[in-house]
Amino acid sequence: MSPEALERELDQLHAAAFGWALACCGGDRAAAEDALQASYLKVLDGRARFDGRASFRTWLFAVVRNTAAELRRRAALRRLLPLAVLGATPDGQPDPATVLARADGTRRLAAALATLPRRQREVLHLVFYQDLTIAEAAEVAGVSLGTARTHYERGKAALRKLLKAEPE
Amino acid sequence: MTERTDHDLGEQFHALRREDAAAAPPFYATLAAARAWHATAPRRRVLGLAAAAILVAGVAVALLLARRDRRGVPIDLAAVRWKAPTDFLLALPGEELLRTVPKLVTIDSDWRTP
Repeated sequence: MSPEALERELDQLHAAAFGWALACCGGDRAAAEDALQASYLKVLDGRARFDGRASFRTWLFAVVRNTAAELRRRAALRRLLPLAVLGATPDGQPDPATVLARADGTRRLAAALATLPRRQREVLHLVFYQDLTIAEAAEVAGVSLGTARTHYERGKAALRKLLKAEPE
Repeated sequence: MTERTDHDLGEQFHALRREDAAAAPPFYATLAAARAWHATAPRRRVLGLAAAAILVAGVAVALLLARRDRRGVPIDLAAVRWKAPTDFLLALPGEELLRTVPKLVTIDSDWRTP
């Protein structure tokens, strides 16, 4: 794929990729933007190469997920070592401005999602938010279809329980 | 893939998606920021390496100083010789026999011949 074609594909998927990056970074907008920028660079300079085995969207989401995990690990290391002076270290928490900007319903949903285990949260996001199939979600999350289905069912049950328990 | 009963959940997620999409940074701004970030990467790498080198050097100096301090204290063995109050229990009766070689009596004449 030529760089121009890659840029066009990335542009089309940008909003969805940003939503996915936010989900991978626990709602931390700054961390999500960092993850997205690093992912785009990987795609454009060829460090992440699309081989056509999956759809471009599934592949891009997997790149964003891996990059966010990489940045999370690096941030954790920075917090351990006294290297935080070299730059702000994302803490993986949703920033107050993003939380405040949300409507009541979506704020409740985001808060409930934040309490779920990472895998369950990811699969639910991919299926309900990104409208992927469970098989595609499994591909993005790097798990088997059976595991993704289990995360989906358990996550859905837990989310329903949490949303029911929350006062309207 | 979602069932009909999951319609309400889907609606809530879609509302979240609309909010996120409205707040998403423009694509070309993200791309420009990524390229700018990439351009300063060597400087950040150098800074990181320098910080790590300073950290390692600091630890090494601290270790060296600690070792030198430990080596610098003179220890007078004679002054610190310590004797346990129960040492006398180790002294056995007839102990001197164990420290000496027994001397055998030599007989000059052949006892078999008168």
